[in-house]
Amino acid sequence: MRRTPPTWARPRPGAPGLPGKRVLPIDAAAHAGRWRHRHPVEKAVLGFGLTLSAVCLPAWPGAPLVGAATLAVLLGPAGVAPRLLWRAFRLPLGFCVTGAIPLLFQVGGAAGAVSLAPDGPVHAGQLLLRTSAASLGVLLFAFTTPVSDVLPRLVRAGVPAPVVDVALVMYRIGFLLLDTVAKVRQAQAARLGQASRAAAWRSLAGLGAIAFVRSFDRAARLQEGLAGRGYDGTLRVLVPEAALSRRFLAATGALLAALVAATLVLKGLLS
Amino acid sequence: MHIAEGYLPPAHAAAWAVASAPFVVHGVRALTREVRSNPESTLLLGASGAFTFVLSALKIPSVTGSCSHPTGTGLGAILFRPPIMAVLGTITLLFQALLLAHGGLTTLGANVFSMAIVGPWAGFGTYWLLRRFGAPLMVAVFFGAFAADLSTYCVTSVQLALAFPDPGTGFAGALAKFGSIFALTQIPLAVSEGLLTVLVMRLLTQSSKGELLRLGVLSKVTGKDKGAGRAGASGEEKEAAAR
Repeated sequence: MRRTPPTWARPRPGAPGLPGKRVLPIDAAAHAGRWRHRHPVEKAVLGFGLTLSAVCLPAWPGAPLVGAATLAVLLGPAGVAPRLLWRAFRLPLGFCVTGAIPLLFQVGGAAGAVSLAPDGPVHAGQLLLRTSAASLGVLLFAFTTPVSDVLPRLVRAGVPAPVVDVALVMYRIGFLLLDTVAKVRQAQAARLGQASRAAAWRSLAGLGAIAFVRSFDRAARLQEGLAGRGYDGTLRVLVPEAALSRRFLAATGALLAALVAATLVLKGLLS
Repeated sequence: MHIAEGYLPPAHAAAWAVASAPFVVHGVRALTREVRSNPESTLLLGASGAFTFVLSALKIPSVTGSCSHPTGTGLGAILFRPPIMAVLGTITLLFQALLLAHGGLTTLGANVFSMAIVGPWAGFGTYWLLRRFGAPLMVAVFFGAFAADLSTYCVTSVQLALAFPDPGTGFAGALAKFGSIFALTQIPLAVSEGLLTVLVMRLLTQSSKGELLRLGVLSKVTGKDKGAGRAGASGEEKEAAAR
């Protein structure tokens, strides 16, 4: 029996209904990353500090400085592969570009129904710089910190334990479901489920229904398994031990302070 | 469409986070109460959230030939109710920001307001009203999903127009600008999502009647039609029916 569908029947990576060739490569990279065993707080302070700097500092020259520093950390000490980073970054970059285009135009006024805005290119450029730098900051955190390291620690940060438990189950089942959906999609394509537009819609609806059935079925089976182990409503998971590094935090503080100072000095010089 | 990281000015990002907070806190309280009184519902809610996450990762064909993602908020609100969707939607948006680089953390409040609060409430409200006036289930489901999708994008347009008023005509001009850009793509997409939701619901009424009865989507009376006795069907049987 043929295990892999023939080439003609395999769905294209971008075809409707298929989440992608590799499911969640950012989280996979975070698990295998150089900073995997660092404390999540360290990486959160660095990543979100850079993101906040990009958002709060003047876009010019703040955003290019923050973006360059974030890129240097990502490709340098954090050891993220450039190709992987580009594949992850191009999506938010696309949103940034399409989001900046409307700022180029103005509606109404003496120039007509739609005309070029006087400061449109400047505003659009600043927005593009700011969103790109801020996106890199979040990617720095995402590429170095698996979500499974963050969730159990949220209880200590004050998030109610039931919410964290639900998020943990979502995270665990989410991967299985994405995998299932990709396989079902492949099976549908092998059975000409994408041969016509009508068939594609039927297949897509089937995918949604399968995801629902599978998620509830898995929850029921998980419930039975946990009940057999004395489940009392709390999901206990092992959290990898990691000590907070004062050196890392101090270096992060120094980097953020240097970025703020450089931005303000450069802005003064340039204006 | 998620508002990208860093797109909103800091004051706007903070204001939308504050606006979203009461709804999310209300949802968290409802969820905590539910889990404390019924511990096994943790798994069911987690499964529901995972389903929402996966649903939002599916690609639907759009009229232009390209693909887009369903918001999933209409179906989620009909199945799990808006307060729970506020929490599940927030977690989903957080996962999307960290795992898929969709949306962002500084814009999380704004995205939660449009996708996890307004969308589900508008979708559920439309669905509930239509059902109250005796509309068939699938008609109510279509308009519920349509309203959830469209209201999400209307709120996003308002958020963007507030953040970036038009140089000439201010907020109204910007709203017209962002609204017309979204209308071109989102009205067809809202129709697509409505149709997809109807197809999914049709399959679910055949394959998962037990779950739909438990969630209160189908009443006992509605659930009497053929297949009502399949509530205890095995996972394999349900999947076969769904396929």
